[in-house]
Amino acid sequence: MNSDSNAFTQYLQLRGKDSAAATGVLDTLNSRAADALAAIASHPDSDIFAPDYGVNLGHLPMQADLATSFRCGVPQLNSLLAVVANDVFYPTENLHRNAPEGLYAGSIRTIPEQFADDAASMLETGISDSDAPALVNSLLLHDGVYIRVEKGVEVEKPVQIVNILNSDIPLLTPRRVLIHAMPGSRIRVLLCDHSQTPATAHLNSQIVQVKVEADASVELYDIEESSAATTRYWQLFAEQADGSHLTVNTCYLTGGKTVNTYRISCGNNTDTSLSGLVIASGTENVSNRVDLRHTGTGATSKQLFKSALFDKSRGTFKGNIYVAEGAARTDASQSCRNLLASADARMVSEPQLEIYCDDVKCSHGATTGQLDERALFYMQTRGVPVEEARNMLTQAFMADVIDNISFEVLRQRMHMLVEKRLSGATADCSSCAACHAQSTE
Amino acid sequence: MEELLKVENLRAGIDGKEILRGINLTVRPGEVHAIMGPNGSGKSTLSGVLAGDPRFTVNGGTATFHGVDLLSLAPEDRSHEGLFLSFQYPVEIPGVTMVNFMRAAINAKRKYFGEQPMSAADFLKMMRQKRAVVELDNKLASRSVNEGFSGGEKKRNEIFQMAVLEPRLSILDETDSGLDIDALRIVAGGVNKLKTSQNATIVITHYQRLLDYIKPDYVHILYKGRIVHTGGPELALELEEKGYDWIKQEADNEQ
Repeated sequence: MNSDSNAFTQYLQLRGKDSAAATGVLDTLNSRAADALAAIASHPDSDIFAPDYGVNLGHLPMQADLATSFRCGVPQLNSLLAVVANDVFYPTENLHRNAPEGLYAGSIRTIPEQFADDAASMLETGISDSDAPALVNSLLLHDGVYIRVEKGVEVEKPVQIVNILNSDIPLLTPRRVLIHAMPGSRIRVLLCDHSQTPATAHLNSQIVQVKVEADASVELYDIEESSAATTRYWQLFAEQADGSHLTVNTCYLTGGKTVNTYRISCGNNTDTSLSGLVIASGTENVSNRVDLRHTGTGATSKQLFKSALFDKSRGTFKGNIYVAEGAARTDASQSCRNLLASADARMVSEPQLEIYCDDVKCSHGATTGQLDERALFYMQTRGVPVEEARNMLTQAFMADVIDNISFEVLRQRMHMLVEKRLSGATADCSSCAACHAQSTE
Repeated sequence: MEELLKVENLRAGIDGKEILRGINLTVRPGEVHAIMGPNGSGKSTLSGVLAGDPRFTVNGGTATFHGVDLLSLAPEDRSHEGLFLSFQYPVEIPGVTMVNFMRAAINAKRKYFGEQPMSAADFLKMMRQKRAVVELDNKLASRSVNEGFSGGEKKRNEIFQMAVLEPRLSILDETDSGLDIDALRIVAGGVNKLKTSQNATIVITHYQRLLDYIKPDYVHILYKGRIVHTGGPELALELEEKGYDWIKQEADNEQ
């Protein structure tokens, strides 16, 4: 990540002016990121970006049949489905036909003129000039998804974005999702990450930027079921205006190395629910980093993160609640609970509170332990084999995180996916339960 | 008559401390045995060792269960072979519903015997029938295992599970502790309803009271890790009257 202005110049030349894009929104973003990056010497996460990956400079689409043959296996989910194949947005007939009045969901490249300024400003939301990983994403970004719900519109169906990785050569995939919920609106978005080429090294750099305007409600669900060769660097930047509600729930089922960052800033009387689930085995390594900032008064936030670590897997939770001066009547809680299922698994928990206001209620708790041996024996005496008993107890341990999912079809499905994951079903795309590729041959 | 359980010279302990010092016990189908004894005599250790509690170490002796070497089996396989242990303190398992728990138990047993899983309809019908044995509220069946159950509900839930699993030998470890008289009657009634000429019960208790409801054929007195006295139901009455001192004296003199 060391700055090399020649390389950047070269890159920008190679990249050229993207004539297919309707607006210059992305060009502006790219060049600004290049300038900012040039000023950064190093970043703690630079090792993640160190390996050589190919980059899709020419905005080449994936084979269309691979992308469009994907369909979601969640029964009755009935979502508005969009597909992002590697780093390219694919419009689907489903989304085109069924998007209700007041909802726009489409590519940033071809964004309608009236939304261009909004998208341009949202693309910068939350990204500081020292955030090298985010700037790399900004530099290389040539497509993305823009979702906008107009004032007072309640979108009944969830918008589902299926992110597919498919490449035979190592690939860095910059992705972006912008969600803008206008005052009083309501929307649910489901993101699913998959890899169709599990053996290929992928670096999935993904930024989700959310603006929840006054009294609006956004629910964001994210499921990662990729492969051991996949590295995911996921960043959420969310801003909540007064009286708004935000739910964020991430479920990590399989992958290689994953870093999820959540930066949420809360206004007056906002309500925030942030939860995450991690089931890791092998040498998987999953970090969840939270920076939740209370700057308004009377806001409530709840965090719940749970990890079950098997084999030699690693987990990290770094969670900070920041309560600014004057953020009176803040009610914030944070809970991080972890299960170590093997002597070689490791968990690092760093819960933090940073409080500059007296009139607040803040709590945090972190526990790491093993399954209850008495419960295991009790279940065995009733004939439940010990492995199955372990799975049932681990699943029970995760239940309250899954129950944070408000729509029932997905909640039921998540319970099943977790059960399947725990019973040892491998999670390459051919056996993936949430979505699965149907060969066109 | 054939032997259902034959325990010979069983020695076991915990953390290097020997608790059972040579237990001999034979149980035949259709019999009810009561095991009594002062605190610390090894009653719960005996039930734990027979059920396969990993906290205990077996130091010697054998336990043969209808011809099978019981001590070599995993706890779940002992259950499949027809052994049931009702816990003195049933464990609460938040997040695992009774229904899922019982379905897993039933289907594991069927798998052990090479049978197909039970159909959902048959399973629910069976659950309904078995609940009636101990008048267990339907609501408890949909709740997490033992979570928030009262003492009486927990014990009733144990007997309900016993009814579902249809064991050949049930060990009831202080099933009467923490029960009021009504709950005791229901629990004991459940045990009696499940009694056949083919199965057997070992009742571990401190008090003669339970034996008013579950009539034993034999009463054994466990003291310092050995069965020091065996008699009929009248022995329990004698204990109630005279306490354990005479037994202790008798046993200590023998040593």
